[in-house]
Amino acid sequence: MNAQRISAIFEKDIKDFMKNMMLLMMPVIPIILALLYKQLGGEEGLPIPMLYLIVGVTFSSVTASCMMTMMAEENEKKTLRGLMLSPASFLDIIIGKSLVVGLMSFIALTISLVIVGIKPFLNVQAIIGLILLFLFFLFLGIGIGLFTKSIASTSAYLMPVMFLFGFTPMIDFLGLGEDSTAIMIADVFPLMQLIDMHDTNSWIPIGIVAIWALGAALFTYICFKKVRTDD
Amino acid sequence: MNNAIEVNGLRKVFDQNAAIEDVSFFVKPGEIFGLLGPSGSGKTTTIKILTGELEQTAGDVNVLDVHSQSFGTSDFKSKIGILSDNSSLYERLTIYDNLKLFCKLYDAPLEQIDVMLDVVNLREESKKTVSKLSKGMKQRVLLAKALIHKPKLVFLDEPTSALDPGNVAHIHRGLQKLNEAGTTIFLTTHDMEEATELCDRVAFLDKGKLQELGNPDELRYKYSTHAFHVETFAGERLVIENESGNANKIKELIENGEVKAMQTDNPTLGQIFLKITGKELV
Repeated sequence: MNAQRISAIFEKDIKDFMKNMMLLMMPVIPIILALLYKQLGGEEGLPIPMLYLIVGVTFSSVTASCMMTMMAEENEKKTLRGLMLSPASFLDIIIGKSLVVGLMSFIALTISLVIVGIKPFLNVQAIIGLILLFLFFLFLGIGIGLFTKSIASTSAYLMPVMFLFGFTPMIDFLGLGEDSTAIMIADVFPLMQLIDMHDTNSWIPIGIVAIWALGAALFTYICFKKVRTDD
Repeated sequence: MNNAIEVNGLRKVFDQNAAIEDVSFFVKPGEIFGLLGPSGSGKTTTIKILTGELEQTAGDVNVLDVHSQSFGTSDFKSKIGILSDNSSLYERLTIYDNLKLFCKLYDAPLEQIDVMLDVVNLREESKKTVSKLSKGMKQRVLLAKALIHKPKLVFLDEPTSALDPGNVAHIHRGLQKLNEAGTTIFLTTHDMEEATELCDRVAFLDKGKLQELGNPDELRYKYSTHAFHVETFAGERLVIENESGNANKIKELIENGEVKAMQTDNPTLGQIFLKITGKELV
């Protein structure tokens, strides 16, 4: 890992981000959603699942989506190969890009949560949970971005990611029975685990989200191995 | 240092088709080596193997005393420069910002940006966004990017394609200066004039196999019939073999004032390639 190379990639990506209207609009989505939900919440504020819906939308539409688009663009325009042929390691490239996406996600999430109510998240367990959730979406974004060959094809992958992992709490509004298979599977998903975490002092939900993040990291590693050479 | 590049028994197979078959050669430090061949002959595959973008199916490859298994290290990557069909630029950024990124990645001083902009004749355009540049200008920026860290060895895949003659001459001077400063250059080109002007040695590649290798002048001598081509004022074109028995005939033509032009048979690299492979080098 090399700090100068990481900062060079960060500097390049932040300049590129600021000139890319498509990416610039992404952090606005959760903020608008938060403003709309704020109206629904009334005096007593929004319930925890609704707050996590904002978190899910932020991480899927900003973290995963921006990362996916940035990596896919690098892949499509062959600039990623240029970075990989330079002395920068894959870790340098990923950290440099993640800092930009992380900064944008942090700004969007903070503004959104301040609008709808940030109090439930101001404890160590919730913060660790959010960090692990961020890493999960980040790795998912990197992996899919490496795997797809064009920006256009990222949308085909982004939709399932958003609906499965970003909007998971919405499953409760589908009117499915408590013991339905879909509900039982959805309960293991990272966002649902973090919602459950607020009802218990157990660290098991955090552990499960950590496993999801590790799985996404492994997926990223496999995708990286595939794009490293032309074989 | 041993040879800058050493390739022994190189073989590369894609889907059971051999793209490279038993290719062996070496490149000496400080040399400009040209790999010539038509499209699909295996030039780009060879460059990709030498730079670690592809793994060979068989054979031994050493570049700057580093075995191909270690081509992924930062130390190796910082010693080489690459301009290939995989090279690209950040379209929304300026020329300067693109070069600044690679300066920092290679730990090169920022002053190198202006030096390289002079080499590729783009100093005045440095603040231009890459998306607004012509294809030729982009190619020059890519060349500057490949050379910005003063690599010991530089791989150039068709470096002057898409450039106008004025800029080709400018780039050639830049490459020769770089070579005089000790940089080894490995280039592929279709341009026979370029190969003749720049290369110390050239290799002909066809259907993945090395057909010939040598110094351009030596190759031209080797494949010359050594005959004299004489054009007379009467409009005749004579081919006189370079044999002692023909000395009087040449003397007679000169004494009679019949010779309008006379030259030895000196095939171009393109003609030599045609002779060896039966195909044009395009």
